This record gives sequence, structure tokens and C-alpha cells, in this order.
Amino acid sequence: MTGSTLLAARGLTRRYGRGSGLVRAVDEVDLSVPAGQTLAVMGPSGCGKSTLLHLLGGLQRPTGGKVWLAGRRIDMMSERALARLRRDSVGFVFQSFHLMDELTAVENVELSALLAGQSPRRARQRAMHLLDRVGLVDRADHLPSALSGGQRQRVAIARALSNQPLVVLADEPTGNLDSAATLEVLRLFDDLRTAGQTLVVVTHDTRIAAVADRMITMRDGVFVDDSRLASAATGPVHDGRR
Amino acid sequence: MAGRLLLVCRVLVRDLRRRPTETVLLLIAITAATGTLTLGLALNEIATQPYQQTRTATAGPDVVAAPRATGPDALAALAPLTTAAGVTAHSGPYPVAFLVLTAHGKTAHAVVEGRDNAPAPLDRPAVTDGTWVRPGGVVLERAFADALGVHTGDTVSVDGRALRVLGTAVTAARTTYPYAGWTSPDSALTERGGLVWVDRGDIAALAGEQPLSYTLNLKLADPEASTAFVDTATTSPRRTVHGGELTTWQDIAEADGRPVAQAQAVLLVGSWLLTVLAIAGVTGVVAVRVSGQRRRVGLLKAVGAGPAMVAVVHLAEYLVIGLAAAGTGLAAGLLAAPTLIQPSAGLLGSVNTQPPALYMVVAATTLALTIAVAATLAPVVRAAATSTVHALADAATPPRRRRWRIWLSRRLPAALLIGIRINARRPRRARLVTMNTLITTTVLVAMLMNHAQDKPFDLGYSELVDPRAERTDQAMLVLTVVLCVLALLNAAVNTWTAVLDARRPLAVARTLGATPAQAGVGLAVAQLLPAVPGVAAGIPAGLGLYTVASRGGIQYPPDSWLLATALGVLLAITALTAIPAMAIAQRPVADTLRSTPT
Repeated sequence: MTGSTLLAARGLTRRYGRGSGLVRAVDEVDLSVPAGQTLAVMGPSGCGKSTLLHLLGGLQRPTGGKVWLAGRRIDMMSERALARLRRDSVGFVFQSFHLMDELTAVENVELSALLAGQSPRRARQRAMHLLDRVGLVDRADHLPSALSGGQRQRVAIARALSNQPLVVLADEPTGNLDSAATLEVLRLFDDLRTAGQTLVVVTHDTRIAAVADRMITMRDGVFVDDSRLASAATGPVHDGRR
Repeated sequence: MAGRLLLVCRVLVRDLRRRPTETVLLLIAITAATGTLTLGLALNEIATQPYQQTRTATAGPDVVAAPRATGPDALAALAPLTTAAGVTAHSGPYPVAFLVLTAHGKTAHAVVEGRDNAPAPLDRPAVTDGTWVRPGGVVLERAFADALGVHTGDTVSVDGRALRVLGTAVTAARTTYPYAGWTSPDSALTERGGLVWVDRGDIAALAGEQPLSYTLNLKLADPEASTAFVDTATTSPRRTVHGGELTTWQDIAEADGRPVAQAQAVLLVGSWLLTVLAIAGVTGVVAVRVSGQRRRVGLLKAVGAGPAMVAVVHLAEYLVIGLAAAGTGLAAGLLAAPTLIQPSAGLLGSVNTQPPALYMVVAATTLALTIAVAATLAPVVRAAATSTVHALADAATPPRRRRWRIWLSRRLPAALLIGIRINARRPRRARLVTMNTLITTTVLVAMLMNHAQDKPFDLGYSELVDPRAERTDQAMLVLTVVLCVLALLNAAVNTWTAVLDARRPLAVARTLGATPAQAGVGLAVAQLLPAVPGVAAGIPAGLGLYTVASRGGIQYPPDSWLLATALGVLLAITALTAIPAMAIAQRPVADTLRSTPT
């Protein structure tokens, strides 16, 4: 299911503060994510997982090292180019969903497409298709406040897929969800993996491993383990296990 | 492009609908400034329109000649003017006497003009009630009659002779009451007074010993060249309206507008003060709105909106509110103008400011958009430039750690400690409170200064109301009320948003043992601390502003007035904060700490 390198980092570093207050959130890590791979990044709180995700998605600039996405170096890009990159090539899923309260589910999903300059009609068609894919087409006109946590996260995943991104970056996507909702999201990620979508998931949740091809463990800003998971290949997700 | 436009419009509409209170507050703040500006500009129309209507309706002259000489000398002086170059018609000379009129126990100077019953080719006063002159009766200029409370059928006394009021009329040949140009026979000074007409045959008896003066109305081939005619027709021109020898129709129009000119100046200056206050108020609301929308900024950037798009999404909302406020202010100003500031009763017609002149629309729109942009630009640009990750986290600015402040706050009572730390957490908000208080106090002190000045000295005595002072007082009242409402609104918005923003830190403080009273007082202290320097600086700023805007001869209000203003502002802030703060402090801590991210 995996192919050539889609996302790569060399000597990637992000430091905060200076002197005795210096914090190495990400400390000279190297990474290569092939297209179609589902990568889970795990580790304790404060180990630098989220910072790594922000650096890979162009939300933050590194203080050292280089990042490539689909062969294009992104750490040197202008703010405008980064915005275009996020719009066209990257989909984000956040722990806190970050849906716009005042927009309905379908309007949230079509947000990226409208920003990308798609026609309102085409953006709506795509959004409805994605909501159908995540099983929420009957909730399209509901405001986020009328949706459960799991449903909100599924809307957020649909939004992340709106512009057919090269990679979806998910930051603790199940962190705010109960078990049932977590299972819904895991199933969705499994579907994406099966469909060949490149995924990088930062998580505390060991059940994510069930849908990942590979798992990296981080501690104090560095990778301490990088495992290929053979178990991810087959079988449906059930309660976090295959 | 259509997709992005749809997105901007969608967010705009939903946001306005979702926060109706804030939208209304913004609308009120900007409307107050644009409404007052429109009112000031509309007064210009009030000053000029009715005179033109009256001039047309009464065949008003282009030049009025009224020599200082009396009797045959005056007639000899006027004779050559009827055949002067450029003169196409004339009426008169009419005899004039400067007498005293008494009615309903009130006494006033009266310029008594003798007229024929037949209509004249020039200056045919329009009778607005009753009939025109006939022997034994008197017709009063309408504004003069209004000031005296005299009606058709009443009896008045002119220098002791009783005359029946035949009617009221208006003219464009002489300025309306009180600037009819009453000149004492033994003085060169012109005093306040009103115009009355009597039958030409009666005037000699009314004047008694006083030698008669004369007035002559002239029609020129080119009415616009009346000033040039006056300059060439007399070797010693005295072109003042209160008794000059030759007076142009433009002079009379200007003098007729004088009663509203001062009111107009008050309203125009007031509109600028209101603009400053509106900017402060709108900035407060916008800062809170934008900071409340930080997550949204982060989200928009995360899904690919550039800084420009983020700025457009936010600015569009305020520009739309600005345009709506321009329309509302324009309508309010135009509707209020004729009601608040009546045109002189001495002129015909009514003020018709609908549809508004283009310059009024442009001025109101420009002002509204300037306020909207000035107040929103900084927070919007800051939001657009903010880091996506920080915006998504929506973290408050970490307080600067200063050892002395920590040392000091540990020794302070709990309420003061809470207040200081709330301000340390949101330093920009504290600065906004200072700025708002500074502007409010400045404006209030400037108003106070205005009230402390003596009324302008005016020649002549009268028991009657001075229309100019009356209109200026009306304008000051309007301005004071609007200013106070806006200042109060600003304070309420500031304190309420501060209370909402401090809910979580106060709840945390209570989990650590602070009582509801300490939390409530702490919040009031957080508002008061930055307000004190604002008030302290606002007093000299208000005094300075008025001094700079005046032409000298300033009288300062007593210190007790200034102290009362300062205390009043601080008290208002305390009261406005304390009420919502105590209400919030009574809520269960768990309810406040519980939050549901979307």
C-alpha cells in the first residue's frame, strides 16, 4: 500500500527559550513517510509530538533542519505559500475539533474547498459526498453544538479530506472522545488507510496502533523507537483490536 | 472567487446573527457619531434654505438702502440710488421709526416701518396670519410675534399708543427677530429688536418727536453682483447688517442663519468628540470580539486561509456595520434636525433635507467607515499575523514576571492581588480601559468647560428669549445626552466583557480559596486600577482641548466640578463592574470551569 517518500524531514529541530530555559521540543529528528503509509506517533505529554506535527504541516517553522512534502521544501516557504500548501496538500484533524460554531456541518466541510476557489456548487457536492463517507449526511445541516463529540470529529475528518490532500495530519484525534466515538474514528482512519491516504496521527491512544502501518515513539523531542507494524495489514477494527 | 465571496458573506451574516448585542452596540456607537455630524451639516441647510424660499415668495430685494441720515437728508441720499447703474426696480423709500413695543407685559425694541396697503413691486411681505396693514393697526414679523406671544386680534402698545394686531408676516428685506437692526436715535449702536409694519399714514404720529428714517429696496439686473454694486454705489460703505447704509441680500441671509450657526459649530465639534469616543468604544468591542475569535483565526489559517483572507473575513463584518451605521446616523440626523432645531419663524417654508445632499451622505459614510477601520485595523491585523498554533491554543498572553510585582502582590489583600493578576494576564485590555477612561474624561471635562463659560455679550436688552442662545442650548443638550449615553455604553461594554473574560481565572481563584466577595471585588479592582491614570490624564487633556479650540478668554470650572467628574467616572466604572462581577462570583465554580470545545 505504501510507495515513494511523500513527507520527509532531516535534522528537524524546534527549540523554545534560551539559556537555562531552553526547551528542545523536537531535537534533530529524521523522518521519511512513504505515500499511503499510516504513521502513528506516540509518547508521553510534552515529548514534542504535536510540535512535530505542526512542523510537518507548515503550521510552525522549525528552528533548524529541513522538511519536504511531495519533493517541495516547505520550511523556507513564505506565509502565503504555506497557506496555499495547507489548503491544497494537507488536511488537519485536531483534538478539539476546531469547527466553526456558526457554520453547519456541511458548511464546515466545504470551508477548505471554498478557500481553494472551488465553485460553491462543486464545493457543496464534494462536502455532501464526504459527509456521506463519514456517515453524517443526515446531519449535514446541524450546527456543531447539535452534534456529539464523535460526530464533530467525523465532520472535522471530512473537512480535512475536502481538497483531497496528499497527507492528513491528526493531532490526538481521539483525545476528547469516549470509547464508542473513538471506535467510530478508528474505523474511519482504517478506511482511509485502506484507500491509500497518507496519515500521520499523533496520539496517546495505543488503539491507534491497530490502524497504523508504523509507529514511532518519541521522548524528550527525539525518536526512541520506530516499528513497522505487520498487524495493520488485515482485518476489521473492533474495540481497538483486529 | 465566488466561493470565497460566499464564505466571507456566510461568516459575516452568521456572526452578526450570533452576537446581536455586540452588533447593536457597535451600531449605536458609530451611529451616535454619524448622526451628530449629519445634524450639524443639516443645520447648514436650515440656515440657508428657508431664506431663499422667503426671498422668492416675497419678491425680496437685492440691496436694501437705509441711510443714517433722517428726514429730508435721508430722502435726498436715497434719490440717486433709484436711477443708479444696474438698478432695474425699486420700492420705497418707506419711513422707519425705532420705538418700543409692549405686549402682554413684555417690552421689546421695535423697528416700525410705514407701508402702503397696496402691494409693492419689491418686498411684498407674505402675510402668514390675519391681514396686511391698514390705519390703526399693526402687523408683526412672525418670529417677533412668536417671541412676544402675540396673536392676531391682540392689542399691543407702540410707544404708549395702543394698536390692534392685524396679522403676522415674513419678509426677506430685513433680518428676522432679534436682528432687525434697531438703532437708537442718539446712538450709533445697533441693538436687538423686531420688525413691525404700520400704515404709512400712522407712522409720523407714532414716532412723535423722533425724526423719521427711511429705507429703500432695490432690484439689480444681476442679483449676484449686489456686493459689487454696494462697493461702487457708496463712498463710505458700511455693509453691516445692523444698520449699515447698504445691505445686500447675502448679508441678510447670513444674519438670518446666525441663530443656528453657533449651534451648528457646537454639533460639528461635538461630532468629532463623539467620533473619538466611538472609536474607543468600537475598539473595545472589536478587541473582545477578535480575541474571542482567535481559535477561528487559527482554524481558518490551518485550512489554508492566508493572512489577507483572515483580515478580509474580519474587516468585512465591521465595514458592513459601519455602512449600516452611516445609513442609520444619516436618517436619525436628518429626522432629528427639523425637530430639534426649528428654522426661524421669521422665514417661510420648512427644511427639506430629504433626499439628503450628496456631501452629507459622503461625510457620514466616510466618518462611519473611518471609525470602523480605525477601531478594527489593529486587532484584525494582529489576528491575521498571529501564529496559527497560538491562535488554535487561544492562550492568554503570559504575564511578564517581575520580581517586585510578585513580591508586592503576595503582601496585598486577596482582592487587590486578584485585580493585579487579572490585568497582568490581559495587559492590552487594561490599556484599553485606560484609553477609554482617558477619552471619556477628556470629553466630559471639555463639556464641563463649555458650561462654565459666560454667555456671549449681546447689545441691547430684552425680556424675550434669545433664539440664538436657545438653539445653542438645544444643541448642547443634544450633544451632552448623546455623549453621556455613549460614554456609559462604552463603560458598560468594557466592564461586561472584562467580567466575561475573567470568569475562568476567577473560578480558579475560588477553587484556591478566594471567597465570592474577594473574587468580585478583585474584578472591580482590575477595572479601577487602569481607569485611575485615565481619569487623572483626562482632566488636563479636557481642559487643554477646550483651551486650544477656543479663542481665549477661558474660564475654568471650579475644582470641585472636576473632582466630582473624576469621582463620577470612577464610581460609574466600579458600579458597572461590581454588579456583573458579583453575579458571576455567585455562580458555582464547576459550571464555570466546565467548557465544551467545538
